[in-house]
Amino acid sequence: MDIKLLEVVNLKVGVNQDNKEIPIVNGISFHLNKGETLGIVGESGCGKSMTSLALMGLLPPGVDWQSGDIILEDMHFKNFKNKDWRSVRGKKISMIFQEPMSSLNPVYTVADQIMEIVLNHENVSKRQARVRALEMLKLVGIPRPEQVLDEYPHQLSGGMRQRIMIAIALACNPEILIADEPTTALDVTIQAQILELMKEIQEKLHMSIVLITHDLGVVAEMCDRVMVMYAGEIVEKAKVVDLFDSPKHPYTQGLLESLPDINKQMEYLSSIPGIVPAPGNMPIGCKFSPRCPFVHDRCSVNPPLFDTPEGTKVKCWLYEEASVKKEAVL
Amino acid sequence: MLNTDELLRVEDLKKHFPIKGGITGKKTVQHVKAVDGISFDVKRGETFGIVGESGCGKSTAGRAILRMIEPTDGHIYFEGKDLVGLNKTEMRKMRKDIQIIFQDPFASLNPRMRVFDIVEEPLINFGVKDAKERRRRVEEVADQVGLTLAQLKRLPHEFSGGQRQRIGIARALISKPKLIIADEPVSALDVSIQSQVLNLMKDLQKEFGLTYIFISHDLSVVKHFCDRIGVMYLGKMVEITGKEKLYDRPLHPYSQALLSALPSSHPLQKKERIILTGDVPSPVHPPSGCSFHTRCPARMEVCSTIEPLLLEAESDHRVSCLLYQETETRTG
Repeated sequence: MDIKLLEVVNLKVGVNQDNKEIPIVNGISFHLNKGETLGIVGESGCGKSMTSLALMGLLPPGVDWQSGDIILEDMHFKNFKNKDWRSVRGKKISMIFQEPMSSLNPVYTVADQIMEIVLNHENVSKRQARVRALEMLKLVGIPRPEQVLDEYPHQLSGGMRQRIMIAIALACNPEILIADEPTTALDVTIQAQILELMKEIQEKLHMSIVLITHDLGVVAEMCDRVMVMYAGEIVEKAKVVDLFDSPKHPYTQGLLESLPDINKQMEYLSSIPGIVPAPGNMPIGCKFSPRCPFVHDRCSVNPPLFDTPEGTKVKCWLYEEASVKKEAVL
Repeated sequence: MLNTDELLRVEDLKKHFPIKGGITGKKTVQHVKAVDGISFDVKRGETFGIVGESGCGKSTAGRAILRMIEPTDGHIYFEGKDLVGLNKTEMRKMRKDIQIIFQDPFASLNPRMRVFDIVEEPLINFGVKDAKERRRRVEEVADQVGLTLAQLKRLPHEFSGGQRQRIGIARALISKPKLIIADEPVSALDVSIQSQVLNLMKDLQKEFGLTYIFISHDLSVVKHFCDRIGVMYLGKMVEITGKEKLYDRPLHPYSQALLSALPSSHPLQKKERIILTGDVPSPVHPPSGCSFHTRCPARMEVCSTIEPLLLEAESDHRVSCLLYQETETRTG
């Protein structure tokens, strides 16, 4: 049975320019179940990272929470003050970033950085916190953990640094881990190690993961459910197998087809013509319509998310009929 | 000796970067062996891929071929002529035939030059004096890579990553080169744009009979784009073969691990994975014997003492691993 842990309702995040709201994330809704891995995929600028920063209350200066809410247990993030955020960050929700070097503090030792979060959230002594730090290093599979505790980030390799980031993120046993492109900066052999580690730890600690990535291979490997984002909106929500077996949205289809398949040989890759529109300069109606091979008159109005008989939700007029039929059967 | 369909032959190419130290900071204390003796050949009209993880020396190799960084040792024969030893003027002329496309389309274009000037500059360098002729050539090449005439008047910052890469390709193409070294040309691009650029490069290859050296860390892109592939690890070529052979039956344990580490293309496809332990050792102190032996799942006792050679294990399939080599004759 799926237990809903976190719910995002009509979240809108953006910048204000000349008294005009320019949305970067434009009214998205989704939920996260206990113990599952939810993937958010999309290309640069689709709003996937902004979504994750909103979940942590870490929106950069100039970017505002325009409307909508995020609900975790009985907490409404909409009304949060800095103090409230601090009690959630690291304790309930933790995050790991793409670039492990720039997210670790170069002048503190590994032990200091793990202990900081433990001392912040829990009523423990420094000695106990250090013991916890050592445990965490063992959990994330750091070789010679006793020495590494007193080393600085620059002494470690990229893969090790990402392990340290995971150790910091998990030190207070959070329920949700947000991983923003956790393996993008790493080599494939190290990526395989880190993904393996994340799966292992998830099983051990029963946490939920929100995995943000542009790499569909990583999605296939890790996720239970996937959301595809395009130009600040969710265009498709599906179970991972359904997404790969029968992608619905023309954008998802184009994305999957433009990937070179290692099992097939073809002369040319199919590609999506055109480029991603910039925020503030969005096409009217369906945001994907200027690049879509199936564009027709209806596309001048932005479609809602339709349910398909398979259970996939898709934001495209092509599926309006299928969803109406399903309602009629019910 | 010269094989007519061989365009480039690299022999025992080395690039060792000195590390300065000591009290004055001028003494060379150690060397980073970024490229440590690689040999391969590239045939006319083919795409030769070089894959490997960060720090394996693949980019250094690409740049050393163009002598953008001076090789420490070795030979580079381009159409039978050794590029090492050419003086500056001669080398400059050779670069008309060998061009390069860079990874980062944001850093490799001068932000203060208009696209027209960026693309035109090689022609000025190579002594095309007639401005009208230059204009004609720039417009022609812009059309070939899919840039409009209006876009030629703009500055690089007005373009997206994929379009900038087209500008980079136009600049490389304008001198009508025979060989283009493409150093991670699509790594910085989104997948939907990546396929546009790869298709363009393939079209241009067909139209002009180009030869590519395609340097990448992305195994699925390399499989799609290349004919023959060399796998690099820690400054050495560990395996060279045609792409079918490499992907169907990789011989070197490192290639096997690399291929198995690739994320699967479908959630239900579960892969038998060889997870390598540890990290790539430092190229300052590469391990003795086979440089991969510290991480190799198939390591034998001899691997830490004897260095394997890149030898043919089967026809058109060279591999540098003692599993496939007689070692008795080589001890000592």
